[in-house]
Amino acid sequence: MPDGGTRVTDRSHASRAGLARGALVFRWVALAWMSTIALGGGDFRRPVLAWASLLAALVWTVWISVRRGRENRGELAIDLALCGWLLLASGLVVPEDGVIRGRPFFATGYPVSAALAWGIAFGVRGGLLAGAVLGCGLIASRPLNGVPLGALEAPEIQNMMGAVVNYIAAGGAVGLVSRLLANSERAVRETTEALMNEREKAARLAERETMARQIHDSVLQSLSLVHKRGRELATSPDVPAAEVEKLADVAARQEKDLRALILRPPEDIPQGKGSLRQALENLRDREVVPIDVTVVGSIWLDGHRLQEASAAVKQALDNVIEHADATKINIFAEEDAGTVTITVRDDGKGFNFDARRFESEQKAGISRSMKGRIEDLGGRMRIETAPGEGTEVEFRVPVEDES
Amino acid sequence: MTERIRVLIADDHPMWRDGVRADLEGSGEAEIIAEASDGGEAIDLTIELMPEVVLMDLQMPHVSGVEATRRIIEAAPHVRVLVLSASGEENDVLEAVKAGATGYLLKSSTSTDVLDAVRRVRNGEPVFTPSLAGLVLDEFRRLAEGQQPGDPALSDRENDVLKLVAKGYTYKEIGAKLFISTKTVQNHVQNILVKLQLRKRYELMRYAISKGIDRLPE
Repeated sequence: MPDGGTRVTDRSHASRAGLARGALVFRWVALAWMSTIALGGGDFRRPVLAWASLLAALVWTVWISVRRGRENRGELAIDLALCGWLLLASGLVVPEDGVIRGRPFFATGYPVSAALAWGIAFGVRGGLLAGAVLGCGLIASRPLNGVPLGALEAPEIQNMMGAVVNYIAAGGAVGLVSRLLANSERAVRETTEALMNEREKAARLAERETMARQIHDSVLQSLSLVHKRGRELATSPDVPAAEVEKLADVAARQEKDLRALILRPPEDIPQGKGSLRQALENLRDREVVPIDVTVVGSIWLDGHRLQEASAAVKQALDNVIEHADATKINIFAEEDAGTVTITVRDDGKGFNFDARRFESEQKAGISRSMKGRIEDLGGRMRIETAPGEGTEVEFRVPVEDES
Repeated sequence: MTERIRVLIADDHPMWRDGVRADLEGSGEAEIIAEASDGGEAIDLTIELMPEVVLMDLQMPHVSGVEATRRIIEAAPHVRVLVLSASGEENDVLEAVKAGATGYLLKSSTSTDVLDAVRRVRNGEPVFTPSLAGLVLDEFRRLAEGQQPGDPALSDRENDVLKLVAKGYTYKEIGAKLFISTKTVQNHVQNILVKLQLRKRYELMRYAISKGIDRLPE
């Protein structure tokens, strides 16, 4: 699923951006402190180098702010190099012995920013690595300040190593947090998707069960009705033909439903779609006039389309049942070149159809709403009828949005 | 009155056979010359008695209705097979039609419909339901994807006719709609069936060739 894959990086990017914003605040605070010290007690050994480095840090900080946590590898490398340089520069610009004699450290805490950035971008290992590089820079700043490492006394070494450990720890910790955030986000998303899948599956299962239950209920009820009425009729002196016919109808309908349920192989439904055949067959629920449904192949429509199209077909059926005096109705559906055609055809009395009048007066409320539904789906409705010839209503609907 | 139509009933349910016998003989137009309770019996009795029409159930023990239809048409091509089946067995019905059945009717049809279908099938007129027409349309469409040169395909007119059958129009209504005679409509439907059966034969042939079955051992 390439789609889900890109989403992972997108979303974890979002969580990293949150961390990066925090790191950026730290960066600006460190830069402010660095500038304050430089402006306040700026007795540097190499003033040009000092001010140039400060300017570089300022420009870089502005650039990083513009990038808003979307630095690429090159930029991250530059960041680490600059921060390492600031540590070395500290040794070069602070008066000799100053770094161990309590003079303010030129780079202040600014270099930690690189450890944070690497941790955010590359996780624990990246953070640790950047922290270690910075630590080396810090150690190198001592000799550059005129203090050979061998001349450092125990508390000075402890101080220095403490700072080195801090760099490494900062990078590692942020890296850990960054990775955890990304992981937990992915975990949450995966759980949510799994839940949604489960829910959809459960819904389908429930739908099928409901259908099965309905049929079982109706079959059992119908059987007992046929049984009871059959016995009554057998003992009654004269048997009204209409009554027997009614019983036959009840049995016939149940037979049809039950067979359809048992014998039809379950259709493999694409995600988020529904079977037009199923939807049309469901419309035969209260079949007053026999309805025959013929669908060529399998036609799948998304939920909204399916609902609107079958609602329109239902209105057409209601129309026929109410007005046409039909003895049978045929529903036919096929898909061709991205268009689904559904026709509802009856053998009833038909009528004088005037397309222009129909358009202008929009006379029948039902017909208008039927037409509206279909046109909202980007489709078209056509009516073909004549007195005594029955009526054919045709809906043509695109399978997907034409956009 | 012409001679009564000689009919054989093949169905594994005795009650069903009794019912159909009563209906058809009651009309005085048909005579049930034999009853078979499975496909094998249907084949044997047909070859022995040569009925004009075989009323064929599809779900039978041992030899299925589809197989029996195939063997009957092979042995006695002039015998008409009318499939009477329950709804929901459409795929078997399609197979039976490919095997040479001339007509198909639902078991839930009225006795008048059955008698009418027997009459029409005897005269070689194909009897179709809309749902079978839908299946045939689907079949030709799916086959069109793997179309080989020389494969029988539906003409536009045949396609139109089949669609109208699927929409529930009678042959007469279709003729009126397309400005052709009812007889021509029947011919179209007949041709569609023949093409369907031809396709089946081509398919089998291609299958045989692909498996090297055509090469006889020396």
